[in-house]
Amino acid sequence: MVLEVVASKVDREQLRDQIEAKYCDVAKKPEQGFHFHTGRPLAAMLEYPEADVNALPESTIESFAGTGNPFLLGKLHEGEAVLDIGCGAGFDTLQAAKQVGPTGHVIALDMTEAMLEKTRLGAETLGLTNIDAKLGYAEELPADDGSIDVVISNGVINLTPDKMTVMQEVYRIIKPGGRFQIADIVVQKPVDQDAKDDIDLWSG
Amino acid sequence: MSHANFTGLRWGKQVDVFSGSKHESDAKEFDTRGVTLAATKG
Ligand SMILES: C[S@@+](CC[C@H](N)C(=O)[O-])C[C@H]1O[C@@H](n2cnc3c(N)ncnc32)[C@H](O)[C@@H]1O
Repeated sequence: MVLEVVASKVDREQLRDQIEAKYCDVAKKPEQGFHFHTGRPLAAMLEYPEADVNALPESTIESFAGTGNPFLLGKLHEGEAVLDIGCGAGFDTLQAAKQVGPTGHVIALDMTEAMLEKTRLGAETLGLTNIDAKLGYAEELPADDGSIDVVISNGVINLTPDKMTVMQEVYRIIKPGGRFQIADIVVQKPVDQDAKDDIDLWSG
Repeated sequence: MSHANFTGLRWGKQVDVFSGSKHESDAKEFDTRGVTLAATKG
């Protein structure tokens, strides 16, 4: 399998506006139903252990919108510094914060304030004080060079038109020997240029 | 990923993540899959 960095004519600001509107709805009106799966059924489909899901607040679970389970590639270790790109309502962030424990910490980044509010609420509900929820973009990660042990991300990089910039940012902030564990989507058939330039297909 | 100088790329298993969703037909058209992957900064 090959990861292709697509060239697209989509307008970045317009795409960001559409994505923010969509994920504001996923945060605030999760019951309305979307073109993709969400919540508890999605978590089961992606093999998150039921006990781990049940330990999260319902308001976190209901807005889960990932595309895989990054922890299937390995658990995080106590004391690690983690950054979750596009944390959404905090489904993975809260689990990561528990895994790294009080000596570790998680920077939870998202461009949608309504999602970040849910992440903060989830952290408060579980009494987790090692989470720093920050508003921002995947293309400008809020961490110093070589300061992060593990970058996680779930269902986000496919939404960014400039994937190379995101990957360079990820590389910049990870410590030597540190790792990147993500879940995302890939397309396995060629996508024609019209589809690449169709903003509605990007924002889902 | 290799463009950004990561090494030891590992793919996890693939999931037909849009199956049964309203996106199913678009996803089928391009054979879209949910994947997991990991890599290390050497
Ligand atoms: C499909 S949801 C996944 C959320 C979360 N990772 C989960 O698994 O539930 C995508 C999230 O990424 C955020 N997002 C999309 N593009 C982004 C970007 N360029 N920078 C930061 N966040 C972004 C959206 O606001 C949304 O919360």
